Amino acid sequence: MNNRPFTRRTAVGIAAGVVAAGTLGIRRVWAADKSVTVGINLSLTGADAESARRIENGATMAFDEANAKGGINGYKIVVTPFDDGSATAGQYDPAQAATNARKMVSNKATVAAIGPQMSGAGKAMAPILSEGNLAIITPSSTNPDITDPKFAAQYRPEGKAIYFRTVATDAFQGPYMANYYADVLHVKSVYLLDDSGAYGVGLADAYQGQAEKKGIKILGRDRLDPKAADYSTVLTKIKSLNPQAIYYGGVLQAGVKLAKQAYDIVPKMIKGGGDGVYGPEMLTAVGYPANEGWYATVASPHVTEEAKMAAWVKSYKTKYNVDPDDYAVTAYDAAMVILAALKQVTDGGKEPTRDAIRDAIQAVKVNTLQGPVSFDANGDLQDKTISVFQIKQNKDITPGDMANYHYIGVAPSV
Amino acid sequence: MSFSDLLLQQTINGLSLGAMYALLALGFTLVYGILELINFAHFNVFMVGSFIGMWTLQLMGINGQAVIMTGLPLIGVMVVALVVTMLSSGLLGVLIERLSLRPLRDVKGPAAMITTIGVSYVLFNIILLTVGADSKNYPNPLPPIQFAIGDAVLRLREILIWMIAILLMLGLHFFVQRSKMGKAMRATAQDPEAARMMGVEVDRVIIIAFFLGSALAGAGGLIFGLYYNFTSFIIGFTAGLRAFTAAVLGGIGNVPGAMLGGVIIGLIEAMGGQFIATAWTDVIIFSILVLVLVFRPAGLLGRVAPNKS
Repeated sequence: MNNRPFTRRTAVGIAAGVVAAGTLGIRRVWAADKSVTVGINLSLTGADAESARRIENGATMAFDEANAKGGINGYKIVVTPFDDGSATAGQYDPAQAATNARKMVSNKATVAAIGPQMSGAGKAMAPILSEGNLAIITPSSTNPDITDPKFAAQYRPEGKAIYFRTVATDAFQGPYMANYYADVLHVKSVYLLDDSGAYGVGLADAYQGQAEKKGIKILGRDRLDPKAADYSTVLTKIKSLNPQAIYYGGVLQAGVKLAKQAYDIVPKMIKGGGDGVYGPEMLTAVGYPANEGWYATVASPHVTEEAKMAAWVKSYKTKYNVDPDDYAVTAYDAAMVILAALKQVTDGGKEPTRDAIRDAIQAVKVNTLQGPVSFDANGDLQDKTISVFQIKQNKDITPGDMANYHYIGVAPSV
Repeated sequence: MSFSDLLLQQTINGLSLGAMYALLALGFTLVYGILELINFAHFNVFMVGSFIGMWTLQLMGINGQAVIMTGLPLIGVMVVALVVTMLSSGLLGVLIERLSLRPLRDVKGPAAMITTIGVSYVLFNIILLTVGADSKNYPNPLPPIQFAIGDAVLRLREILIWMIAILLMLGLHFFVQRSKMGKAMRATAQDPEAARMMGVEVDRVIIIAFFLGSALAGAGGLIFGLYYNFTSFIIGFTAGLRAFTAAVLGGIGNVPGAMLGGVIIGLIEAMGGQFIATAWTDVIIFSILVLVLVFRPAGLLGRVAPNKS
């Protein structure tokens, strides 16, 4: 009779057996299924994390739906998420973004990517992705330099466009908002602020150029340190200069503090920014009524309130228990572009390689949630729509609901 | 807004900043004075303190800026929040000393200082991972009372910050100068060996220094939240660095020096932002620090330390 006690060695043996069986099991599944990997890079740590989640949900939802239908021509899509936010930066960190880009490029299975959320991350990623000829589609980064042929040597040294967008750029977002200030709000003088990031500085520059053309007097411009807590100094200075309006180019790390303190010091002044101040934290962390009256723009058509979108909005909400915003839509659209490219390549029975997918994305013509999407030679979206919102609390919905951003309309084009 | 009103307003802004920096700087100075250790964990004890304050206020049913209190209830709530925050932060400081610094007491070199950097990151990441990365709307029951002086505005919360800061600093000053424990602290600061021979319990002195320094950082954190109506896991860094600069500027190890340094840094930040540009704030602050250290290496009020070896 075998009454060998249950020793440590047998335990290790059993564990090893289980692991081996598990590994074999997984292998068998993988051998039967074909798959491609898509990287998603967003700022999941830091001040913009909540917006990042909504974007991630949008993209993942599209891939989940495709996988549930058996994939595209038998190819399943495996999503690898990356986080370019770091605790030390408290928001997106270009160094981390560059590391993530290298990881994506070095994984042979990766055929395309979605992201980044932030332009500062995009500037760090683009040259690395260009070397790997890996196409990335951004649902929200709007700095125009990255796709501008003037800077091609810097951001796409290998020549081909690899940075595509399902949003318009700040070359439209800033100037269109300057038009809105001048034509609709009849603003004659403005004070400019930026948050010293790639996106913020670029947006404020683009705004400033058009504002000057429109005859808006620029009373000054200051740069906020997003890590500093106190902006009362610069706001006091603004109060003493007494402009009619403030325009802020930047994201929420500085934006939340700016909105709170601006309400204390210059409560009546017109205040606005770009898509950087369009996010749930602007509602919950700033709080009402300090955030009320703030204008924000989004570099895509506003579709989440349209009737034909109701079913999509509902299934997003049931799946993730949070409301989608417009960049959840553009992220879903980015995923649709990748799926369309994958379909186009594999329809002919070709291998979905990185090169083939990039070329297919470049040539894509696909109907997405926001409308038909196609790209110009630089990777920019053909359609350029800037939507304007204003924060006004709707007491019937939760304070964090993005519907508290009231859609005003499309900003006047240049 | 006339120029004098503008100047007055920026002075008010600068003094409020300065009060906060001074409270933080005191913690650096207390510990450095006794252990000659730069305690980088202090940055994030301040940050944790602001969260403890937030939770305490929320437990008392205050959310956002919706609940406004006046009179006795307001004073009661403030006292409770301040006491709870200071006690908890103080205990956190004692815990840090007991767990991570005491085992290294006899190790020469920068090991202890580097450990404090590690502890700082541990606190930082605990809050990041448990509370989340987004900024929090700070509960604030203060009524929005303000007084106009010309075009300048003095708000109730500014008066409150100054009062709390001055009371705490006076309390600390008298504790260090008058009490028996304070005397023991000063003795230890001068020469721990001799103090021990005279019957001073050095370990207790060190614990008290950590407790007081961290409690003041906690008070600073609560005040920060009430003043700016927000807190986040990242607030420790900039405020901590400026407060550390304030401590060095005033003369590290010197209690009145830390207060003076804090107020000077606060005023520089406000005036620099007004007359030059906010982007230059750090350049100005650190240039002044370098200049002071070149011409007065011991800081404004510090004396050159006697050779302890």
